[in-house]
Amino acid sequence: MSEHLLEIENLRVSYRIYAGEVQSVRGISFCLDAGEILAIVGESGCGKSVTAKSIMRLIHEPGTILPGSHIYYKGEDILTFDERRLAMFRGGECSIIFQDALTSLNPTMTVGKQIMENIRHHRNVSKARAREEAIELLKKVGLSEPERRFRQYPHELSGGMRQRVMIAIAFANRPKILIADEPTTALDVTIQAQIMDLIKKLAREEGTAVILITHDMGVVANVAERIAVMYAGKIVEQGDADSIFYQTAHPYTEILLAAVPRLDLNSEEELTAIRGTPPDLINPPAGCAFCTRCGRTMEVCLREAPEMLRLGETHQAACFLLNME
Amino acid sequence: MNVAKYLLKRFAVMVLTLYIIATATFFLLALTPGDALSQRVERLPDKVAERLYARYGLDRPVMERYWITMKGLLRGDFGESIIYEGETVQSIIREKGPVSARLGIQQMLLGVTLGLLLGILAAVGKGNVWDYLVVCISILLISVPNLIFALLLQQVFAGKLHWFPVIGWPAEGGWFSGWEYTVLPTLAGCFGYIASYARLLKAAMLDVMGQDYILTAESKGLSHKEVILHHVLRNSFIPIITRLPMSVAMCITGSFFVESVFSIPGLGLYYVNAVAAKDVTIVMGETVIIAAIYIFVIFLTDILYTVVDPRIRISGGKR
Repeated sequence: MSEHLLEIENLRVSYRIYAGEVQSVRGISFCLDAGEILAIVGESGCGKSVTAKSIMRLIHEPGTILPGSHIYYKGEDILTFDERRLAMFRGGECSIIFQDALTSLNPTMTVGKQIMENIRHHRNVSKARAREEAIELLKKVGLSEPERRFRQYPHELSGGMRQRVMIAIAFANRPKILIADEPTTALDVTIQAQIMDLIKKLAREEGTAVILITHDMGVVANVAERIAVMYAGKIVEQGDADSIFYQTAHPYTEILLAAVPRLDLNSEEELTAIRGTPPDLINPPAGCAFCTRCGRTMEVCLREAPEMLRLGETHQAACFLLNME
Repeated sequence: MNVAKYLLKRFAVMVLTLYIIATATFFLLALTPGDALSQRVERLPDKVAERLYARYGLDRPVMERYWITMKGLLRGDFGESIIYEGETVQSIIREKGPVSARLGIQQMLLGVTLGLLLGILAAVGKGNVWDYLVVCISILLISVPNLIFALLLQQVFAGKLHWFPVIGWPAEGGWFSGWEYTVLPTLAGCFGYIASYARLLKAAMLDVMGQDYILTAESKGLSHKEVILHHVLRNSFIPIITRLPMSVAMCITGSFFVESVFSIPGLGLYYVNAVAAKDVTIVMGETVIIAAIYIFVIFLTDILYTVVDPRIRISGGKR
């Protein structure tokens, strides 16, 4: 039915807390094709991690994915999966890597067991075979002495090694989709690049499509083929990497790009910071969510929320400035 | 090498702790007015009274008594009871210890088992009826002293329904002899365990269920049951395992209230009576022995930590 591997339609996620209903994701739509790398960028609290977790249906109380949202995987709506289908999808067709690999691995279970668990849950293989595969995976993600690593506990490994283990778990069943939720944020800068290269390499080898969630524009520039920029629970601009970097349409994207430290500029110069704070998502503004921080706010921005405008084949943005041109 | 050094250090600290406890107990007892003999000698001629005081060494100055007591402790000789002639701490523990231990172990086994089951029920069904029920039960059980429960049980099941004997304890025989005598005291004493273990396990499980690695486990497609069994339980049993030895130590020392309500000839009752009568030798002896048990159990707990939690290793060194 659908030509895309994954198609998200009008996804809305809310968290019901004491103070009210936090509208974390406010109706976003995007798609992912087989084998491509899509980056979702935005500052903390913009809803990018919630989006990632929604695809795996990992949203727990007090959060809910609101009715009317659809996440189509090969034409099937994930949100209507029954438990058995979901158990196959999670870890089999779609995997996720989290930000902090220390807290993402069970501290009382050996690394090998945690990899084997994912293999044996999805494929009917013997223990010995699963063990071989797990060791093979550890080798593949670049860990030395894989047999020894297999028997070690997470706390015995460094941060980078732990993230490699997470990657091994994620790729255990050759998934069609990998969601990487800020995979390098908790790591040293020197290791960040290695981990990103590893994800990129494995994804290419296995033909896995990657959704990379990050706030690091530098990482995005290196790996992403397409980019979606999120702000206050909405996608404000999306398109192929070149359009986003060279034909930037939305003021928020512009400011985000300007805030990236650059080696070629005078070091005396201060970094550009984005003024103000993101809006309160319990009472989201009626108009454009970015209008209080935007340098070019117009009267209409306060009253109405801008619609997504098609600017190119894949390039879209939501800003009233574009209507004027 | 590291382990040996650690054990040696721990042992030295244990001995020092025990010494401090013994000294503190001795001087606290010496500070309180009156003594074990004052009532007995009231109607006796002065000469006899003096002789009695001399017999138990109560006529000597405090510091001298302290040294005599300490020297005795080193040899394991705590002295003869002042109130009960011919009895020593060892003979009392030999006689009363098994009674308290049987009662305590029965209470603990029942209480801990029920507590853990309720804890799992509450954590898994967080926010539903079971959870609230367990919370209510534990608040009730924790806030009402077990003396009240003991009396209530006695009134209802022994007095009104005649299901079990009102008081008493099987005299001799094996572990299962006279079980009907043990039912009510066991019930009366197990509520504390139920409440504390249910709350402890629930809190631990909820904490673990909020951890990132549970999301990882879910993202592998494991069912809720598998996640609980393979990932949540082991991690949330860490605080339980380390609390258990303490409970075992507690059940050896006996419980004063339950033992007095049901007239059980156990250690707890005897100990409290000894304190009330200022039977110095018995109080000193029991305090030191119970303290030694507790200190050893705390040591055992630290060792246990390293067994359940791979992150903790005695040798430290490499992380």
